[in-house]
Amino acid sequence: MKKILSLAAAVLLAGSAGAVLAQSDAKSLATGVCAACHGPEGHSISPVFPRLAGQQSAYIVLQLDAFRGHLRADPNAQAYMWGMASQLSDATVQGLADYYAAQKPSAGTAGAPALMAEGRKIYEQGIPSKKVQACAACHGANAEGAQVFPRLAGQHVEYLIGQLEGFKTGTRSNAPIMINEVREMTAEQLRAVATYAASK
Amino acid sequence: MQQKRFGGVVAALALCAGAILLAPTGAQAVPSFARQTGMACEACHTVFPELTPFGRRFKLNAYTIDNLPQVSGITPSKDQTLLLNQLPPLSFMFQMSYTSTKSAVPDTQAGTGTIPPDALAKNGQVLFPQQASLFYAGRIAPNLGGFVQMTFDGTSGSFGWDNTDIRYARLASDKFLWGVSFNNNPTVQDVWNSTPAWQSPFDQRSATAPTPGAATALDGRMVDAGVAGVSVYGWWNDSIYAEVGGYHSAPAASQLDSSIPNPVLDGIAPYWRVAFEHQWDRNSWQVGAYGTTAKFFPANGAPLSGPTDKFDDWALDSQYQYIGDQHLFSVTATYINEKQTYNATATENPSDTLKTFRIGGQYYYQRRYGAALGYFSTTGSEDAVLYASGTPLNGFGNNKPDSNGWVGELDWVPYQNTKIALQYIVYSKYNGASSNYDGLGRNASDNNTLYLLGWLNF
Repeated sequence: MKKILSLAAAVLLAGSAGAVLAQSDAKSLATGVCAACHGPEGHSISPVFPRLAGQQSAYIVLQLDAFRGHLRADPNAQAYMWGMASQLSDATVQGLADYYAAQKPSAGTAGAPALMAEGRKIYEQGIPSKKVQACAACHGANAEGAQVFPRLAGQHVEYLIGQLEGFKTGTRSNAPIMINEVREMTAEQLRAVATYAASK
Repeated sequence: MQQKRFGGVVAALALCAGAILLAPTGAQAVPSFARQTGMACEACHTVFPELTPFGRRFKLNAYTIDNLPQVSGITPSKDQTLLLNQLPPLSFMFQMSYTSTKSAVPDTQAGTGTIPPDALAKNGQVLFPQQASLFYAGRIAPNLGGFVQMTFDGTSGSFGWDNTDIRYARLASDKFLWGVSFNNNPTVQDVWNSTPAWQSPFDQRSATAPTPGAATALDGRMVDAGVAGVSVYGWWNDSIYAEVGGYHSAPAASQLDSSIPNPVLDGIAPYWRVAFEHQWDRNSWQVGAYGTTAKFFPANGAPLSGPTDKFDDWALDSQYQYIGDQHLFSVTATYINEKQTYNATATENPSDTLKTFRIGGQYYYQRRYGAALGYFSTTGSEDAVLYASGTPLNGFGNNKPDSNGWVGELDWVPYQNTKIALQYIVYSKYNGASSNYDGLGRNASDNNTLYLLGWLNF
């Protein structure tokens, strides 16, 4: 037992001495910490956690900043990200954003044809009677996003629906444009457009 | 024979006493992890103490994920030599309870002095506290963290050492994490809630209600004996887990000699564990196996040399979890098979078997209102010496260790760190039989237990 203990202690000491300051290294932080929820290279499994692979760098910076400043306050943001983002420096935030933006995005999968057709219509043309703009205008024809407008393609459908519902109910209030867009939309319309956007 | 039986009874009583005084008790969740990470309890727990996939990862990472201002130190070559939370990750836990058995249990002094032989203890016991614990739980240094619990036990009135898991972990690559755990309870280091230390809804028990007398080495005998162990583990690709280590007797503040009331391990008892986990959508499913081979000197007046009693345990376990925004559901199960070979203790048979099976399901709505149902069963060889009759409450009238029954629980979690649980345990069989199990007229159902628990963590 003593031999095992001393061997283990030696391993411990050797390891500690070689430890580097992980906080400043965005890639180590991404693989060592963020990956626990967001998956390897940003390909998360559970729809509680958004896929970050290929996400717009500017959008990730904006969100991490909103978590740090408690401007984004939906339930999961509070439970997970307020703590996680609290000690990140501006440089680390930028490093993480660039790391995830550079990863290959997840491929989308198509939903039921009727839902996809309805979603496509809303995504490309909006809903004029409800003054809903075409999503494609900001998020791009292929839902790839642009700058602070996030990539939606390849995202978890359930995650997107959760965000749209958050804009509607006010739990996610850090995107004024979206709050106006979803105000009049029905749950069915939200599901349809999320399904279509995620499938791209 | 009579003398041996007496010896067996004394050993059993000593084991029970030792278990109460020394055994790590119950399962905990600690707010200091929340304070350290800045994350709500729900990040790591469905409802405490059950872990989410992230909670498992946090534990495997040696409790080191940290989002607090740090006191840090580095060498000129930028090696980190200190990384300490500015505030220590301390927590406090307080449990209070009410316990009532269907029939009052016998007075422990029955038949002595002026106490009549059929005297009964007062039923309906309030424990305030049932248990109070102080924790240091969080990062100690880069890659090194601990879950250290000191507990005041209301039943014994003493302050003692409880569950401890100090571990070191490193990422070897993007997909492989390895670590070392120093702990005092086989399976306390485990990250799934299907193994004995943390299996809900079986891990919360009244401190005063009767408990069936037979348990495997993995399920209590090793913890009761007071052990310390070290194990090395690896976690690959978020799916395959392997661990190997060993346990050694380490009774609290005692010299290892014949005076120890509990059995003492001969050398090191190896421990092994393998598991596979698959995650999809909001689900995770795990299947695994674990085991140990423990050789014990009986101690309790016998020298720590010569022949030993050997306990070969292998076990299977599985866990399914669904974590939705509104609905959370989990099932945990384990089967433990033990072969006992008695070379040091006089028993009826040179070798016996003992098998335990438990399965439990839990449902929570919005992590606030919960219900759980579990079935437990232990069966084993008939052995007139190991399982002696003639002791009220704790005897085995037909010399069999068999016990089985159901546990049902309703939970209310008004805050993430506060739980009110109402539990009822129904025994179909207790220490070998349904009726007159102790040979003195007590039925298994007399031990049915109503248990109300208030549990605060802060």
